Amino acid sequence: MVVEFKNIYKNFGAVQALQDVSFSIGEAEIHGLLGENGAGKSTLMNILGGVLSPTSGTIVIDGTSYSHLTPHQAVELGISFIHQELNLVNDLRVFENLFINRELTIAKIYLDKKEMIRKSHEVFKRMNINIDPTLHVRELDTLEKQLVEIARAILFETKLIIMDEPTTALTDKEINNLFTIMRDLKNNGISCIYISHKMPELFAVCDKYTVLRDGKFIDSGFFKDIDENRATELLVGRKIIEDKDIHRAQLDTETVFEVQNISCPPYFKNISFSVKKGEVVAITGLFGDGRGELSEALFGARKLTNGKIFKNGKQLNLSSIKHVMKSGIGMIPRNRKERSIIKDMNILNNVSIAHFNAKHKKFLISTNEEIKRFEKNQKITNIKANSPKDPITSLSGGNQQKVIFARWFELDSDVYLLDNPTQGIDVGAKFEIYKLINYLAEQGKSIIVFSSEFPEIYKISHRCIIMYRGEINKVMNHDELNEVDMMFYSTGSNRKES
Amino acid sequence: MSEKTLTKEKFKEFMKIKGWPFLKNILINHNYVVSLILLLIIGRIASSNFLTFANITNLVKSSTFIGIIALGMTLVIISGNIDLSVGSILGLTAANTAIMFNNTHSIILSLLYAIVVGTLLGFINGFFIGKAKVASFIVTLATMAAFRSLTVQQGQGGPILINQEAYYSILRGLGYGTFLNIPYLVWIFVTIVILMILLMTKTKFGRYVYAVGSNEKAAKLSGINVDRIKIYIYSLTGLLTGIASFLYVARFGSVDTATAGKSFELDAIAAVAIGGTSMAGGKGFIQGTFFGIIVLYSIDSVLSALRVPAFVNDLIKGILILGAVLLQKVLNNRKANN
Repeated sequence: MVVEFKNIYKNFGAVQALQDVSFSIGEAEIHGLLGENGAGKSTLMNILGGVLSPTSGTIVIDGTSYSHLTPHQAVELGISFIHQELNLVNDLRVFENLFINRELTIAKIYLDKKEMIRKSHEVFKRMNINIDPTLHVRELDTLEKQLVEIARAILFETKLIIMDEPTTALTDKEINNLFTIMRDLKNNGISCIYISHKMPELFAVCDKYTVLRDGKFIDSGFFKDIDENRATELLVGRKIIEDKDIHRAQLDTETVFEVQNISCPPYFKNISFSVKKGEVVAITGLFGDGRGELSEALFGARKLTNGKIFKNGKQLNLSSIKHVMKSGIGMIPRNRKERSIIKDMNILNNVSIAHFNAKHKKFLISTNEEIKRFEKNQKITNIKANSPKDPITSLSGGNQQKVIFARWFELDSDVYLLDNPTQGIDVGAKFEIYKLINYLAEQGKSIIVFSSEFPEIYKISHRCIIMYRGEINKVMNHDELNEVDMMFYSTGSNRKES
Repeated sequence: MSEKTLTKEKFKEFMKIKGWPFLKNILINHNYVVSLILLLIIGRIASSNFLTFANITNLVKSSTFIGIIALGMTLVIISGNIDLSVGSILGLTAANTAIMFNNTHSIILSLLYAIVVGTLLGFINGFFIGKAKVASFIVTLATMAAFRSLTVQQGQGGPILINQEAYYSILRGLGYGTFLNIPYLVWIFVTIVILMILLMTKTKFGRYVYAVGSNEKAAKLSGINVDRIKIYIYSLTGLLTGIASFLYVARFGSVDTATAGKSFELDAIAAVAIGGTSMAGGKGFIQGTFFGIIVLYSIDSVLSALRVPAFVNDLIKGILILGAVLLQKVLNNRKANN
């Protein structure tokens, strides 16, 4: 299949997610799509999959022009999208998942299970893998689930497969297995768009590359013509210069936050670390490292089975979130839409909600006081809003996140737990969040950032804790930090023998 | 001439800055007002008795019992839950209040008793919903049946009668009396409406109710004790139902255990829906419910003024509820697209 993007634009409100993107993908080609988070890769792929409509521009598929696609059209044309979060029904069997919405029937009424199972066997055989089609999907591991998705694509004559970071949860051996299958597919004339952050993988399996940055097309070409340095340059672009604007704050010697041997099976066990005044500590790892659960536990939102947490030498009362808040700990949760913004409330109320809980003593609310508090914090966080009484959903992702920061500024918290604070916000706003984190560190606050993005961790942290399967695998100081080692310890490569 | 154009321009300017946004706000967020005005106009055209002072106070008076309950229901629905048991709570509380009154002949003690019993029954709902985390639909479906059964058992299937002598000398005045030509019931209802508006707009508790309904996870991670807020909401609904039960006894002088309060929950939910509260939680207004209940009750009088046979009243009600909610959906979609 030949796909050509012509001058694609996509706006979300005021945010321009894609600007004038044009490039093409050839027949039987594995095409690597590169770009940092927020560069517009997912938006573009969602346009190709028919989930989103472009604001303007055309998509040319095998010579036919489309102003937009519907999900149904995309499937008819033979485009399969394998999402990062797998789209399988856990409670159904493998073959039922393979044939979902396209079941084979006898006389249009009875499901022809035998035939579906036979065909499933056939496709797995073709892919040279061994999965029992009658198993329930929940019994499969992540690679197998991924392979089932690919099998579904092959089963229905797909001509183009989009894979969004398929290797994040896979081991090296599994990754190689996946690559073999991808090359087989290519030899059968199937094209593939491969989205990944991992340079070695991209160079290993892809023929051509396209780089997006800040929603703009940067470059396209053959991997054999470039090396990893050049690719990184294309990827990161102007931000190398911006880096100079962020200086890490000076460290105090006073320990503010200390975690002693906390466990919460099966998510994490025996975690100990401490954070000094003005220090930014990053905690990273891969899918399944227990980092998300750890962040919740530090905030009292998840019960510990043992271990203690101290703040300024005093043991924290973890029995309720309110106690933790009152001890001066603030939290920016991951997944802003789901966990932090209250969508039916205006900006002002979203900011005030934590203050009411921990500090507000009066019986009635004074709107004037609310506005005064907001204006003070608006200056610090640089929230761009017409009026504090506008709904929070009218703001861009970055500004929404600043509102959540302001929520904790009202309490003047000393320790900030930031769980993936730049998730789903554009590059410019990310940079503002980094400056904000730096500002907090300069004010002598202690900050723990949970993140999976190396550039981010490198930019803001003094120290990085790398987790693997619920345990601390390695602690690296800022001067030791590099992406290769971080990946090495995140994947538990140092533990393989045991 | 020039003066005329000047005022015209001034008017245009005013509409541009204040008028249109104001009208838009009403149309989008408070469109129950539109349905009310439409109904009242139809009623007025149909009958000259409609929209007289007596007619209006009558309307408000008859909607008092379910109206007070619907105020609690508003909180329940804003928080993303439902309460099917309010009718049965009214039955059980009213029956016990009647017994209390027979024993004490005291207004104050009966009122306090009604409040305590109602709050307690609401608390039982709240406990299972907040602490045991059972779906509110199931919990209140169960308590709806259980409370009704208890009530009927108490009355042995029949009514609980009130000592007539004591009723006429002490309690009846409250149910039928007026102050400044306006029935006590209306004064009480409107006072509670105002207090509830203050509660929802000017206190932390009100904010928490919206927060819990809009995004429970985020509310929890902002330190709100979500379980406790749910218990408070149901207890408060029980308390309001308790007050309504007391007024019910004062007004009717006896409690038929099998029918008292029956299907009140449906009218209360209908009033909340007409009043623009989102069934998905997070959005809604007390004043909307107040207008909602009046719309619901004015249907009856408008229809009788139009000489429509009473049998189709519920059909019209059904259409109206559906229409009001559809209208909100259309307007909200338009808002989202702008």
